[in-house]
Amino acid sequence: MNKCILAVVLAGLMPFQVFASEYDISVDRVQIDTGDFVKEGIGYNGASPGPVLRFREGEEVTINVTNNLDEMTSIHWHGLILPFEQDGVPGISFPGIKPGETFTYQFPIVQAGTYWFHSHSGFQEPNGAYGAIVIEPEGREPYRYDREYVVQLTDKHPHSGDRIMRNLKMSADYYNRQQQTVGDFIDESGEKGFMATLRDRMMWGDMRMMKMDIEDVQGFTGLINGKGPDQNWTGLFKPGERVRLRFINSSAMTYFDVRIPGLEMTVVQADGNNVQPVNVDEFRIGVAETYDVIVHINDEKAYTIFAESMGRSGFARGTLAPEEGMTAEVPDRRDAPLLTMADMAGHVMDHGDMDGMDHGEMTDMNHGDMKGMDHSDMEGMDHGGDSLPEDPFYANGSGLIPTAANGGKFLSYQDLKAQKPLYEDREPTREIELRLTGNMERYEWSINGIKYEDADPIVLQYGERVRFKFVNETMMTHPMHLHGMWSILEVGEGKWNPLKHVVSVAPATTVYMETEVDAPGQWAFHCHLSYHAASGMFRKIVVEGGPDSPVADGKQSGNQGGES
Amino acid sequence: MNQFLKNALLPAMVLAISSGAYAAGKHDGHHGGNAIGEPGKEEDVSRTIDVTMLDNYYEPESISVKPGETIRFRVKNEGALVHEFNIGTADMHEAHQEEMQMMVEHGVLKGDRIDHEMMEMDMGNGHSMKHDDPNSVLLEPGEAREIVWTFTKAADLEFACNVPGHYQAGMYGDIEFEATVAAKERVRGESESESVQ
Repeated sequence: MNKCILAVVLAGLMPFQVFASEYDISVDRVQIDTGDFVKEGIGYNGASPGPVLRFREGEEVTINVTNNLDEMTSIHWHGLILPFEQDGVPGISFPGIKPGETFTYQFPIVQAGTYWFHSHSGFQEPNGAYGAIVIEPEGREPYRYDREYVVQLTDKHPHSGDRIMRNLKMSADYYNRQQQTVGDFIDESGEKGFMATLRDRMMWGDMRMMKMDIEDVQGFTGLINGKGPDQNWTGLFKPGERVRLRFINSSAMTYFDVRIPGLEMTVVQADGNNVQPVNVDEFRIGVAETYDVIVHINDEKAYTIFAESMGRSGFARGTLAPEEGMTAEVPDRRDAPLLTMADMAGHVMDHGDMDGMDHGEMTDMNHGDMKGMDHSDMEGMDHGGDSLPEDPFYANGSGLIPTAANGGKFLSYQDLKAQKPLYEDREPTREIELRLTGNMERYEWSINGIKYEDADPIVLQYGERVRFKFVNETMMTHPMHLHGMWSILEVGEGKWNPLKHVVSVAPATTVYMETEVDAPGQWAFHCHLSYHAASGMFRKIVVEGGPDSPVADGKQSGNQGGES
Repeated sequence: MNQFLKNALLPAMVLAISSGAYAAGKHDGHHGGNAIGEPGKEEDVSRTIDVTMLDNYYEPESISVKPGETIRFRVKNEGALVHEFNIGTADMHEAHQEEMQMMVEHGVLKGDRIDHEMMEMDMGNGHSMKHDDPNSVLLEPGEAREIVWTFTKAADLEFACNVPGHYQAGMYGDIEFEATVAAKERVRGESESESVQ
């Protein structure tokens, strides 16, 4: 015990100097106080979130990770390009780190930008095992700013990850607090008529989904750098300064809509890669994504950083202020969006026998049943009028299309253009279709209808350029994360298409990304919603061949851990 | 947007851009004299300053001039994106950014090129969307151009790129007037790089 405390103290004093190339990280049981509740969790160097690791592009880092838990652990360096043995996914990159053991990671830093790290074992990440990575570029930053802050978001839940998973399996709507009630039904009947309302409810019931199914896991407290709304994380500035904010969404399950009322934000980086600057009033940050923004603050007053969850069931709040203790108004949360018929358009419907329903296995639409649908009903649904904004990354008429609280500019994926393309633009050598599938009621999530444990790996050849076609057949939004290689998001800008490590796929949409297969070995590829990944929306990628690496055999091997 | 609509919007843009140009060139006249200075004459040039545009910043990021001095700016775009070099006050830059946002929205200004045909289209009334204010140049990657400018008197000026987002990301430079350098204690330049958890 004493030893443990000593380790924590030393860790606080010694390492993490800027640009040091050797780091020590201990994985510890910690207390997490959100202001709303105190919960035992897992942290690094005695705290959750863990430290901000500052690397410099071009250096070689050595990181000694000591597991002080009584269970296996691992650290995945999210978004970092490195040899696959260093990627930290148990069962794919390495066996994991045993209790009491110290594992030494060693890899070169070949990129710059904002990233993060987290455990890839069980539900340690939702339980608090995450931290930030900031990599200084070899040359100068292509921006000017006076100071910078990491703004790391998470959705801290009073229940442990294991308990949440059990509850979801037992009842997928366990944490869905915004379910429509009998009262809602009566209200809506008054507006739309009894039969129309009844038909609407039956249709959604048939899909094993509800209009409120935007957030599977509600009841969390949004944190910024470990602090709840009342604890109010505060970043200081001097009037006249430009401040760079490095937003990281380390949530288990929650997308956030982020704004700083009174300030325009200039987005300069997405997922660690510089983008051509875009001025916005608000942006949506998917799970595991990062966005860097620069704000120019002239007034000597406080500003609220307000991050509402996409389903509006919770929020995170922090403050930018000229001095400690100053605060600004905290806005009310907006009304929860409702999913619409458009969001279920990609959803496979079967109005016949519900017992046999498995979205994944049903590749064909039942067109006979489709005809049975009363299309006049659809007109009456929240299909949206002419006033709805358009965004090709949401289904037309989707209830999820975001709008800025002040009526201004909301960032879209289509605004993201690489500042400096990393790869030559070329035709992909082939296309791989990945249908994102699931059965909400059983809380089973899968790819092409097959869960991870039943699936063969996706085999890629070193040197090819693969086009991935994501078809989201579910009504949830899935942040798809490919390890080890960049995801080149298709936004229709050719060589300027941005590099990402997470590609968010909204319900009923098809999204393309391309990958230059330039990293030999085996890699994880999964939905970054913790409980989706753990219930099967996960694949192993095997890259065969390579310049100096033994050819992978493509076989599944041993323990297929690496949930979340 | 269809072609018809695009064309229908052009006159509105021309108006906006022209008024911007006048605002930039003449607005300050109301306050007695050309506060930002005026186009200079070749024969008055006392020195040449090379300015390099990169993505998205300038080299140098600060220049020093004397009141009354006429300077030749040799501006070269060595970046991969379109950039502007514009001499003005912070307020003027802000106003101009709205105009340039419009140019982007209407497809005149792409990330890495300018649609010259569209920009130089004669609207039949002698106006075009030409970006030809004397205090600025708008350059595609690889292009170079010169501005001869006379700084008539000390003022709070910046040179800036008003391509949407670029100024906010830090593509601006300070123009210090030598007589007033001491008075201007502006925090500027390098990041302090501090992070607080």
